[in-house]
Amino acid sequence: MSFDICIIGSGAGASPIAYRMAQAGAKVLVLEKGPWLTEKEFFKDELTISIHDAYNPKLENEQHVIEEEYQDEGGKPFWQGEPTSESGWSWWNGNVVGGSSNFMSGYFHRLKPIDFRLKSEFGAIEGANVADWPISYEELEPYYAVVEKEVGVSGRVVNHPHQEPRSTDFPYPPIAELPMSSWIDTAASNIGYHSIPVPRAILSEPAMGRRSCEYSGYCSSYGCASGAKGSGRAALLNHAVATGNCTIKPNSKVYKIATDKQGEIIGVHYYDQVGRKQRVSAKIYVVACQAVETSRLLLASKGEKFPNGLANNSGQVGKNLLFSGGGTGQGDFIFSELSKDKVSELKQVGPFINRALQDWYQINDKDFADSFTTKNSGISQNGGAKGGTIDFLFHQNPIARARGHQWQYDENDNENLVWGEQLKQALKHEFTSYKTLRFEVFNDWLPTDDCFVRLDEKVTDQWGDPVAKVRIGYHDHDLAVGEYLSKKAEKLLSALGAKNISSSVSGSPSTNLMAGGCRFGNDPKTSVLNKNCQAHEVDNLYVTDGSFMPTGGSVPYTFTIYANAFRVADKIKAHWQGLNKQA
Amino acid sequence: MLSIKSFFDKNYQTPAFFKEKQLSRRTFLKSATGMGTIAALPSFTLGAVEQESLVQLTKTDPWLTLDATLKQLLPASPTGPSAEEINALAYLHQVMTVQPTEQDEKDFILKGVGWLNGYANSEKNKAFVALTFDEKESLLKGISQSRAGSNWLNTLLGYILQAMLAPPSYGGNTKGIGWQWLEHKSGFPLPEKGQRYFELPPRANIIKLTCLDPQEINNEL
Repeated sequence: MSFDICIIGSGAGASPIAYRMAQAGAKVLVLEKGPWLTEKEFFKDELTISIHDAYNPKLENEQHVIEEEYQDEGGKPFWQGEPTSESGWSWWNGNVVGGSSNFMSGYFHRLKPIDFRLKSEFGAIEGANVADWPISYEELEPYYAVVEKEVGVSGRVVNHPHQEPRSTDFPYPPIAELPMSSWIDTAASNIGYHSIPVPRAILSEPAMGRRSCEYSGYCSSYGCASGAKGSGRAALLNHAVATGNCTIKPNSKVYKIATDKQGEIIGVHYYDQVGRKQRVSAKIYVVACQAVETSRLLLASKGEKFPNGLANNSGQVGKNLLFSGGGTGQGDFIFSELSKDKVSELKQVGPFINRALQDWYQINDKDFADSFTTKNSGISQNGGAKGGTIDFLFHQNPIARARGHQWQYDENDNENLVWGEQLKQALKHEFTSYKTLRFEVFNDWLPTDDCFVRLDEKVTDQWGDPVAKVRIGYHDHDLAVGEYLSKKAEKLLSALGAKNISSSVSGSPSTNLMAGGCRFGNDPKTSVLNKNCQAHEVDNLYVTDGSFMPTGGSVPYTFTIYANAFRVADKIKAHWQGLNKQA
Repeated sequence: MLSIKSFFDKNYQTPAFFKEKQLSRRTFLKSATGMGTIAALPSFTLGAVEQESLVQLTKTDPWLTLDATLKQLLPASPTGPSAEEINALAYLHQVMTVQPTEQDEKDFILKGVGWLNGYANSEKNKAFVALTFDEKESLLKGISQSRAGSNWLNTLLGYILQAMLAPPSYGGNTKGIGWQWLEHKSGFPLPEKGQRYFELPPRANIIKLTCLDPQEINNEL
């Protein structure tokens, strides 16, 4: 059977294409590796979400090989790969219809104009492959507005030194907030910070056939049972299917995009639910499997014209993979030090903290600029540097919190297993004497030659195909920025009266925040896609997940992936309509 | 192949499941062929007895000893719920019979029952359940000093924490008693029986090919 549009993947990069093209009357096929779950299959179950990771493949069936840098005895660095089935480090982020957007926190900060021209603004950085985007913020801005309306973003515009230009106000009012939010506002104001409400991809009122948030208190990393969270499935695919023009085939694992001698795509090969090989063709093909798997699929799709993988005669597929730089930090609020009212405010759960700091989205601090002694350190002529975003959050998972309390130190500082009364007291103290406020720092993960995807030579998945091997090198600059922002966040925790304040910044990648690998750009030698996210080498191939980003900005990626996919959907629509006219 | 006979056997190696719950079968095989530590048959197996009520089950081992051990690890006291109140035994029973727990982990839990009673017999000439509270406590302290004993107790304590704080449909945390005690507000909706992590719709799996009707193979899209 043949379709107009075949989309591989069904998350934030795929669903806007399916939605827009089905609306336009095209026959759309969505191939998704995972099962098709609905609101009825999402529960606030810590065993499902974290302990057994049940919305993802078992690592013995599907895995990655992660290459990290080590030093040999002579101090010489070398890269060593480890299969995730051995390390237990899952790189899957929700393999179901709608993809990881089902499980996102939905912090929908826009990129800012400087993110589109990082190289022009701050110059080259030694050891990093920084590049300007081929489009500007102004070109993407209308599509951010579309996402806010059609996916559903709740928020409130406030005056802020780094507020990006907006053509519209938020279409939905902010979701309900915890008392902690106003504590943060007051403390921030006292120390000269500007706390801002976080725009969330969560409906604050019923709309578009979806219920509004029911404030169960478990949101981040959990699937949404009310439909309020703007997953690609709840917000877009359901409507796409309702047009009658969109077919979703779950449990369909694409393993190859086949090309003929001329380099034209002749079909997509996939395994169905029980492992049978199937083939389907379309006029236009769209790949959106999340950065690592998108690069893997293109690399695996070799053909006569593409000996190194589809659209990869430049050798750029898989290169300049991005994560999010930064880290996390925390501080404790000790109940015995607080008034009864404050404690009861702290204990509230359900609504959201929804506060962020972006005062240092661009860092204008002479001391920070002076801390870089070499040229090409990402400091602008005016002494500015790219900074990032700080978000605040509470953790919920009680089993994770309890875990480890069976180990206690004795008077000689030896760690011993405890049980009985000692364990009870440790648990009671842990759960009822304090509450931890956490923050997350998001700053640019600079693209480097040491962060990329290729195919593993040995390890295969359950279907016998090579898995992605991911090298995860980072740039020291990311740590410097992350440390700078963490200290700013720690200062706010201190102003709030928190104790045991700490933070941790590392070069360990955030596996739930990935982009890059198929850069868009104007030069086919240094990029995979053109500015429309169409492959330079293959006219009817588009990549619409986060793979296109040459640099990632300093906010979570999902919002920008959605906005760009809506932008590209307009290009694909024009392309398809053009094909129809020819025919 | 060596068969470990007690918590104190110097040939004991920490089982693979313990080091990493999400371990691949490949690694498991690698470690199992390397040491053969837990390859010997367990002293107890689970089978037809699954249908019996827990009360019946706890009349004999392994559940008799497991029940006594859980009660010792979380005894009744005014300070917080006991293993019995959080239904830790029913939770563990589900882990062993209903949840898709790795076979080596189940084997290890069962082997520990034999090792514990072996130790109780050698020290006190009685089965573990027949000992006084203090005697049991001293025996558990004793085995916790060995790596095998510490691994075994840690495994059970891990399941006690799950029994206390997981949704009640998994068998423990009766009426949310653990959440109430620790002043934790659960989320909603919670999974009922039939909606637990191992009961979600399955994902594509090539293993199913083995039981495929050949006529279906020609079904094209």
